[in-house]
Amino acid sequence: MIPINDFLVLSAILFSLGMYGVLARRSAVLILMSVELMLQAVSINFITFAVYLSPEQFTGVIFALFVITVAAAEVGLALAIILRLYRNKQTANVDEADIMKW
Amino acid sequence: MLWPAMTQLNFQWELLAPEFILVGWAGALVLLDLFWGSSAGLRTGRIGKEPLGYLAAAGAVAAALVSLFWIGDHKNFADLIDVNNYTTLFRVFFGLTAAFACIASARYVKDRLLHPGEYYALILLSVVGANGMAAASELLTAYISLELLSFSLYVLASYDKFDLRSNEGGLKYMLLGAFSSAIFLYGISLVYGVTGSTHFNAIGEVLKGDTSDIDMALLLGLALMIGGLGFKVAAVPFHMWTPDAYEGAPLPITALISALSKSAGFALFLKLFTQAFLPLIDDWRYFIAALSVATMALGNLVAIQQQNLKRLLAYSSIGQVGYLLMGIAALSPESASALVLHMIGYVVTNLAVFVCIIIYYNWTGKEEIKDYAGTAERAPFLALCLSIALFSLAGMPLFAGFATKFILFQSAAQEDLLWLAGVAVFFSFVSLYYYLLIVKEMYLGEPAERTRFPTPWLEYGALSLLVAGVMFVGLYPQPVYDAVEDSTATIFAAVEDSAAVSERP
Repeated sequence: MIPINDFLVLSAILFSLGMYGVLARRSAVLILMSVELMLQAVSINFITFAVYLSPEQFTGVIFALFVITVAAAEVGLALAIILRLYRNKQTANVDEADIMKW
Repeated sequence: MLWPAMTQLNFQWELLAPEFILVGWAGALVLLDLFWGSSAGLRTGRIGKEPLGYLAAAGAVAAALVSLFWIGDHKNFADLIDVNNYTTLFRVFFGLTAAFACIASARYVKDRLLHPGEYYALILLSVVGANGMAAASELLTAYISLELLSFSLYVLASYDKFDLRSNEGGLKYMLLGAFSSAIFLYGISLVYGVTGSTHFNAIGEVLKGDTSDIDMALLLGLALMIGGLGFKVAAVPFHMWTPDAYEGAPLPITALISALSKSAGFALFLKLFTQAFLPLIDDWRYFIAALSVATMALGNLVAIQQQNLKRLLAYSSIGQVGYLLMGIAALSPESASALVLHMIGYVVTNLAVFVCIIIYYNWTGKEEIKDYAGTAERAPFLALCLSIALFSLAGMPLFAGFATKFILFQSAAQEDLLWLAGVAVFFSFVSLYYYLLIVKEMYLGEPAERTRFPTPWLEYGALSLLVAGVMFVGLYPQPVYDAVEDSTATIFAAVEDSAAVSERP
């Protein structure tokens, strides 16, 4: 059996990559994709823990399912809001959304 | 750890009646607006945009009243949702908050926004989310409720779709919100991994034992969860979205974000940390105390230089979160009651402030502080109410802010956090300065014109109720305090109950 650490390291790497993406990317759509990456890291974590630590319970797996569903809803919502900004300003770059400061 | 098996789970659907009412009402509002709304193609029998708001408020009040049915009960739905005094208090509180937000919205939405049906439906759905956060006894339910509340607010914040500021505020709120829920979730996954459960009480049980071999992962998970919750309640350094979302969102929604999102966040924060993480209090106490100091300092100091009233209130609300975090840092039955009491006082006061600003905005369309020059002459009642509410926010005696802050600071001092209470008192004085600037502008400034504003009776009625609430809590906090103490006692009792269960052979 593959050691549990491999999965946890994979998930930590994915999570960190996503976090780096959120902080480094300037396009709203790419930020959103990075957030998705973070959420998938969370799903991997949940499934790993569910399988390795408590195989007789479903909590972790159900949690992962809900995370996926919520992530899908989140994308729909975020794209709609990004689209509104794009219609009004012809840009999806978060650096240019700077009317309000301090 | 034995948790009740599936067969014993309690599926009493009627326990969720307030939420069913809210969801049903929300659906009905959308349909009503679709088929009989002001933009539907009918010639007769239309429902205007304004009555729709009052209908929505009626729905929120109905849900609040129905939830009174479970006063004193200790029930649990499928081991996921607690229905006890804690839940009841917050259900009533959130319902009334939303009702005031709907009433304050009515004229604003009529004049400035499209799609009123969905607007009010989303407000009611956000209340469902908030109720769930206060009621959840398990992390998945808490997470789903949190997202339901947040998603509704993301849409509402960017509801003014032709206004760039609304788009921008909504986008920032949404992106940072998604980012923070990912962080929160990662924290949950780590805590689930080390404790093997997502039930608050079960986590608390595990943490009571020896945790030395799982320390790192546990503390990382805890820190990430504090980060995620810190975002929802706008604690420094997770506050970056607050000023922009506040300024960009339509005014009544700013009021709703500041009232509902914050108090629901604290309801969950308090319950989670009492039931699950209390055994580790020595590990996170100073972390939260540090967050509290940073939040108070930044919120109150940056508020001083704000010109826009919404932005000023955003920073002032950040400062208030600093005081509220004290209650978590000093977690004890007394400080939990003090926290909830201060939160209720703060939300009522803040709603009063926002109702004033909304009325003023409906008249003039302006929201800068300097636009309030001479308001006392043109609308004396409004100026009086706004001054009372601002004094209460600053914590002046006679008003809610003083009584609740006093109890909160005292409870922190009792838990050896006297220095924290001292810092909080200092920043309360700082906050007095910028609140007084607004009062000064209203009473001493020269108005542009001298004509009186028309009187909006209904809004004034709601405002009077809120101001009466501020005075009541300020002069005679005992009944509210008793109710709050009753409710927070249930979450502390839940900790002891679960301990008793696990000790049985």
